[in-house]
Amino acid sequence: MKLLESQFNAAREAMRRDRVFDFMVPADNPRLDISHNTILYMEDVSVSFDGFRAINNLNLYIDAGELRCIIGPNGAGKTTMMDIITGKTRPDTGTVYFGQRINLLKLSEPEIANQGIGRKFQKPTVFENQTVFENLELAMAGNKRVWATLTARLSPPQREGIDEVLETIGLTEHRDRRAGALSHGQKQWLEIGMLLMQNPRLLLVDEPVAGMTHQEMDRTAELLTSLAGERSVVVVEHDMEFVRSIARKVTVLHQGSVLAEGTMDQVQNDPRVVEVYLGE
Amino acid sequence: MRMVELLRNDRGGRAFLGLLALVTVAVPALNLLLPEGHPLHVSTYTVTLLGKYLTFALLAIAVDLVWGYLGILSLGHGAFFALGGYAMGMYLMRQIGDRGVYGNPDLPDFMVFLNWQELPWFWYGFDQFWFAALMVMLVPGVIAFLFGWLAFRSRVTGVYLSIITQALTYALMLAFYRNEMGFGGNNGLTDFKEILGFSLQADGTRIGLFVASALSLAGGYLACRAIVTSRLGRVSRAIRDAEDRTRFIGYRVEHVKLWVFTFSAVLAGIAGALYVPQVGIINPNEFSPINSIEIVIWVAVGGRATLYGAVAGAVLVNYTKTTLTGVMPEAWLFALGGLFVFVTVFLPRGLAGLMRRREAMA
Repeated sequence: MKLLESQFNAAREAMRRDRVFDFMVPADNPRLDISHNTILYMEDVSVSFDGFRAINNLNLYIDAGELRCIIGPNGAGKTTMMDIITGKTRPDTGTVYFGQRINLLKLSEPEIANQGIGRKFQKPTVFENQTVFENLELAMAGNKRVWATLTARLSPPQREGIDEVLETIGLTEHRDRRAGALSHGQKQWLEIGMLLMQNPRLLLVDEPVAGMTHQEMDRTAELLTSLAGERSVVVVEHDMEFVRSIARKVTVLHQGSVLAEGTMDQVQNDPRVVEVYLGE
Repeated sequence: MRMVELLRNDRGGRAFLGLLALVTVAVPALNLLLPEGHPLHVSTYTVTLLGKYLTFALLAIAVDLVWGYLGILSLGHGAFFALGGYAMGMYLMRQIGDRGVYGNPDLPDFMVFLNWQELPWFWYGFDQFWFAALMVMLVPGVIAFLFGWLAFRSRVTGVYLSIITQALTYALMLAFYRNEMGFGGNNGLTDFKEILGFSLQADGTRIGLFVASALSLAGGYLACRAIVTSRLGRVSRAIRDAEDRTRFIGYRVEHVKLWVFTFSAVLAGIAGALYVPQVGIINPNEFSPINSIEIVIWVAVGGRATLYGAVAGAVLVNYTKTTLTGVMPEAWLFALGGLFVFVTVFLPRGLAGLMRRREAMA
């Protein structure tokens, strides 16, 4: 009798209509556990392409809320590292965890993005045929399944959220312009804005100031430093002057592994770094 | 209300739907109300011809949805059209009953000819219209879904995908040519008598089919319009323009492609089902790769990513085809090739682009 009752209750529980089944709920941020104050762990990661070791026993830890700059000569593995974090490339060995619990190596690119990792590419890629506003709308965090996007409507708070980001990236007066008509610098900002719309916990920014004027660079530096704190920001950049202007902690990559880590001054005075950058 | 919203920024679409409504009323009226000798009389032959164009237009919309908005150049949409057509053809075959040449009430003529004793299992249910109507959508839909699931999951894109779609339709053509398949071999299905109890030779039935084609075209247009104006439509265009980026902002690109592709295949199937009773035959030639390429040319001529452009392209190219093949049949393929080259070089945005340019200048 007792058994029957419990079965009955279980059945009733399953039939409840006021909640969504667990497997229907998109995996989301609540799983992100940063109790140890580290948001990203990369341990013993290696990957080779046709025998070339692009990443070689890389160990990298990013703290929650920090702004980290990653520098290194061409071919040091900076972009490959980002590809691994965002799921584009699978490493041969090693582990990559987002927070304590989320194993990034088991997730696809969209899943990783929806877990809260945003990426800006080296070459600015915005959706050129759509307006600035629409670009931001597409990037907006939320249910991105097919049916949900078919029936999606912008709510007033969402509209305000987009306007806020437009303000942050300074493109308010361009909101209805085609993204393809923007200048190079504006496209870079729009892309950063799209990252913000995803509301990520970790931002990966690949060469944000390539091709920018000095003025634009200053604004970008301001923007990126204002983003850190609430979020963690990882910037890959070639431009030393720019790195100096924003960096608190710098990691130098060389031949696929970490060569040095520390403040800009420490790193620049490290003899190994000098050797790599300036030669013998 | 929703319809007004769909067409708000769609001048071409409003013009198209207005024109379609006019044609849908005027053509049957001119056929039925005016005597045969009257200069404005529209013959039943013309009504059927126009009805055929409308089904092609629906097919063109389906291709425009996946090519123009999603960037998948499908060179195999003729296959879904033909599958829908075969499903309808099987129903029409079963309606013949014992009026076939061999007078067998249970088996279509070609099965009697092949000495088959009983109806193959996959012909069951096709004596019911509702079942056939369901299959018209389900068969192309399921095949497109399976095909898309395999292709998109493996991230096959661009030219490679186009080639596989071409292979799909070619493989189906070869399969349907075989008598053992049970679809009438190279003769296909023909000699239809009636649909839903109405004689296919009767003027009234022909007009009914014409009106049904027009309504389906309007419905298909509005459905596609609903998709392309939704956020899903914007995601589609995002995938077309920068697939990787779309993936990195969290969209499951494969799923979007899969569902839109499947929907498009269903539309193509419906178009095929309306086509078959009007032309009176369906055979494996409908699967031939050249047909699918022709559809792409209609869309290119009309202008990609406008939907109404696809309609204009389908009607114009087919009108030209009818006229030209009447005068000089051997010239048609050259004309088609020339047209494609001309459009690609001088009108990359098709006729719709021409209209837009004039609008911009005015």
